[in-house]
Amino acid sequence: MDQRAILDHQFTVAAYAVTWAIQLGYLAWLGLRWRAQKRANARSIRTPR
Amino acid sequence: MKRLLIGIYAVATLVLMAWGFYQAIYVAPLDAMQGEIFRIIFYHVPSAAVAFLFFAISLAGSIGYLSFRRNQPDWAQASDAWALAGAEVGVVFCTVVLITGPLWGRRAWGIWWTWDARLTTTLVLWLIYVSYLLLRRFAAGPQMQTLAAVLGIFGALDVPIVYMSNRWWRTQHPAPVFGGGEGSGMDPVMKHALGWNLLAWFAWGMLILVLRYRVERQQQRFAAREAQAALAEL
Repeated sequence: MDQRAILDHQFTVAAYAVTWAIQLGYLAWLGLRWRAQKRANARSIRTPR
Repeated sequence: MKRLLIGIYAVATLVLMAWGFYQAIYVAPLDAMQGEIFRIIFYHVPSAAVAFLFFAISLAGSIGYLSFRRNQPDWAQASDAWALAGAEVGVVFCTVVLITGPLWGRRAWGIWWTWDARLTTTLVLWLIYVSYLLLRRFAAGPQMQTLAAVLGIFGALDVPIVYMSNRWWRTQHPAPVFGGGEGSGMDPVMKHALGWNLLAWFAWGMLILVLRYRVERQQQRFAAREAQAALAEL
């Protein structure tokens, strides 16, 4: 592999990795929000003000 | 039953994602001019397409909110949740576009960024929807949803401008690959791989869009219950 092909490969891997990091990071954040919201809902139903 | 269907859909989406990845990396041939860097298109283009679609959903939700807010409050809240979900997931996909594009550009053009019409209008689109999300996060009061709906409609006006920018103006960004007139188009095997990735990212996007919508609806119900409880205390 020449230098150009190696760099092309690294940039392609970076693009794919960043895409997955963003998507999975967002999914994880959404999962945490979902759980926190469910807990808050359960708490407010159990202990009405 | 509902959980089972969601589970089946999630598994089907993951299978599609894996198949799309296989098509992009192992099946699509190397581009004669660009070599391997061309494979970024299989994530960049579907992300842009899905972002446009979700901004359109946000537009529909914003219009729905403004239409229903006076006489059908529950429909208005549901529309508002779709508007927010569309904008937020659209921003996620648009962020992918704005990162994968410069990675490709650095190798193909030798520069990370240039202020051409396509890139600039895409950045403006992203900034408008980020402001929309900031407005939703930090503004308070009864007018917040209305203001957000207006901003959502305003932001969506940029989508056709982004789409048409490399048709209307001479840009550094490549000319349209599909429907771009004579000389445009793609090798059938590459087109096939792109089609699978479009389908896979669309399926993935719908999954997180629906999840985001449900989180927002839960949040709305929680806020309504809290408000009612506070009123009851008065």
